[in-house]
Amino acid sequence: MASHFSGVLQLTDLDDFITPSQECVKPVKVEKKKGKSVAKIQIEDDGSYFQVNQDGGKQKLEKAKITLSDCLACSGCITSAESVLITQQSHEELLKVLHNNKASDTEQKVVVVSVSPQSRASIAAHFDLSSSEAGRRLTSFFKGLGVHYVFETSFSRTFSLLESQREFVERFQRKEQDSKVLPMLTSACPGWICYAEKTHGEFILPYVSTTRSPQQMMGSLVKGYFAEQQGLSPQQIYHVAVMPCFDKKLEASRSDFYLSEAETREVDCVITSGEVQKMLEEKNVSLNDVEPAPLDTVLSSVSGDEFLNHSGSGSGGYLHHVFTYAAKQLFGEEVKELTYKTLKNKDFQEVTLERDGVVLLCFASTYGFRNIQNLVQKLKRGKSPYHFVEVMACPSGCLNGGGQVKPSPAQNPKELLQKVEELYKAERLLSPEEDTHVAELYQSWLHGVGEEKAKELLHTHYHTVQKMTNGLAMKW
Amino acid sequence: MKEALTPVQTLNAHPDSRCWFVSWSPTGTLLASCGGDKAIRIWGREGDSWICKTVLQDGHQRTVRRVAWSPCGKYLASASFDATTCIWKKKNDDFESLTVLEGHENEVKSVAWAPSGNLLATCSRDKSVWVWEVDEEDEYECVTVVNSHTQDVKHIVWHPNQELLASASYDNNVCIYKEEDDDWECKATLQGHTSTVWSLAFDATGQRLASCSDDRTVKIWKESPNESGQGDVSWKCVCTLSGYHRRTVYDISWCRLTGALATACGDDAVRVFKEDETADPEQPVFSLAAQVTKAHSQDVNCVTWNPKEAGLLASCSDDGDITIWRFQEED
Repeated sequence: MASHFSGVLQLTDLDDFITPSQECVKPVKVEKKKGKSVAKIQIEDDGSYFQVNQDGGKQKLEKAKITLSDCLACSGCITSAESVLITQQSHEELLKVLHNNKASDTEQKVVVVSVSPQSRASIAAHFDLSSSEAGRRLTSFFKGLGVHYVFETSFSRTFSLLESQREFVERFQRKEQDSKVLPMLTSACPGWICYAEKTHGEFILPYVSTTRSPQQMMGSLVKGYFAEQQGLSPQQIYHVAVMPCFDKKLEASRSDFYLSEAETREVDCVITSGEVQKMLEEKNVSLNDVEPAPLDTVLSSVSGDEFLNHSGSGSGGYLHHVFTYAAKQLFGEEVKELTYKTLKNKDFQEVTLERDGVVLLCFASTYGFRNIQNLVQKLKRGKSPYHFVEVMACPSGCLNGGGQVKPSPAQNPKELLQKVEELYKAERLLSPEEDTHVAELYQSWLHGVGEEKAKELLHTHYHTVQKMTNGLAMKW
Repeated sequence: MKEALTPVQTLNAHPDSRCWFVSWSPTGTLLASCGGDKAIRIWGREGDSWICKTVLQDGHQRTVRRVAWSPCGKYLASASFDATTCIWKKKNDDFESLTVLEGHENEVKSVAWAPSGNLLATCSRDKSVWVWEVDEEDEYECVTVVNSHTQDVKHIVWHPNQELLASASYDNNVCIYKEEDDDWECKATLQGHTSTVWSLAFDATGQRLASCSDDRTVKIWKESPNESGQGDVSWKCVCTLSGYHRRTVYDISWCRLTGALATACGDDAVRVFKEDETADPEQPVFSLAAQVTKAHSQDVNCVTWNPKEAGLLASCSDDGDITIWRFQEED
């Protein structure tokens, strides 16, 4: 089976086809049941194991299970994690939860779906709709399945952009004291983060922005603010994110985003744009035939029935927003338009702010593994001129994410990508600073900008994954 | 008419270790070898014999799997199991380490320079093939990472006069790559071998590619226009040499001067095949012209024809030795 992960993640895979047992070394805790030590183990036709005691009694044995968090904490294989993913994070899981809701009166879950603007654009392109129209119809489709609330992640991205801007300015002001604060590298791309942690750990992580990605901001908002507002415990909410990217499933599974007290993840399940398309197909529904629904506004960046979006790249516009904010805050310059200079290829671009021939700010966007590679090497050799880099694992960034709806055989992938980009950019823009709803939440929910609560709920941590060396794995 | 392969000299090149690979400089005057002892040795002719001119010792932490000369002969690249590729610059008779290319996740298996000398390709057990670009200041930048194989990539070779790259893998396939719209893409996958493909060699024109495999065969592939007449080129297998090799064929060299094919085999033998020039070009016929069954005391890892002196062949083995051979007609 072809891997769905981004190329970066496929590269960090350590040949698990040849030597899975050598690489998978996670210790697994199995609860032992007391009993006599002598017993037979019997394998049933369906492959399940039974312990047969001397008295003839049978007991089903538990299978050792590797969870996705185990896989993430390990430097071994990653593609094996794919089968783990399929069991824990898929549209079938969502359907199961919805089914259970209908089947039982107790244990009802409030189901929240948060749709990313990139997914909206991808699905819109597939059905020849505008992005907002696709969003309205998706809302209707999900609600028809039994989903209670449909939000969208431009709203949570406003938090990501605001926090990134502040984090950057704060780092910039510390750059003389600490050589590892700049360049600030964005952290919204989970493929890149996984690669950074597994491959360049201690060296690269200090540069990585601690600001949460829009998906995990939404996690905080839904299981924190929204749960409180609704008088629910975080566990009573089942939170699904619809993302353009398969790697986002890994991000949702990180232990940093597990609420240990409430015993629940901030994002319970991530499904890709492609999986939503599959759900529609399985239900025999074309989005073209779905009646649009009014939008939920609690955690959405919408104006009436229109969705709002951010300026800049289709990968969140981090460079754009941090650049304009920093130019103003640090140098008093109002930047109206950014000039992107393409370097080696279209996925490596530079933006600079100059005054009297002096470069004040030097930003870059690097997409795709080859460019990430050159960026990392530049950093290692002390040859990086950058203050800030928007890093994404996929060539062309998130609109081209591995989880987007695949082109049909007759479709040219490049033309499709262009169409998705146009649909994405056609949405009305909202500057993060002008979002009064977000500003109000900073006060009411987070006790103000830069307060302890904001730091805790809007930022995260990264961890170096120690490499294992295995003498037996020698290959020639 | 009868041909024979006669030893000229045997060098105990990498004592108590394996000698993995040997490579002639473009002028054919120097031979570079590398081995399990982490060292690279440079051999030159003095009078009638080949002697060690230089040892490059502290470039790598693990086995040096392959070495490659740049087309100008001024640079040497070495690929190692320590996941790095070293670039060495020739200074008079000595070499200095210029740069270390990092990025592969694990063992780098092969390295090759494009005919222009501006591009370098590497491949690794991490299943990827990388192309690096060199600028005037000897700076290297990665221009692509291609993941077309599903397993360990054993070897890569460049087309003799085009920017076209071929790779061989543990997944039994050969992939052909070309640059398209500012990135490199796999344009053709050559399927036919039933086990690991260990090495590849283009003929002098680049129209044909020879591959050798753990399935004990050698296959000759020929470029042919796609049946639809459009888009990707396709490569067809036009000849399979089977029944000659008793074990894995580890390496193959196609002489650009004489057209003779030499193979290195796990049965300790070195063999030379010659093409029947009267055969149909779409169905070429190769016949065994000479073989030395006990060429080495262990697996033969590499064979390579001297680029300037017709008939001069070098081989190396797990026994740590290099042997220089002369292939010629017997009187």
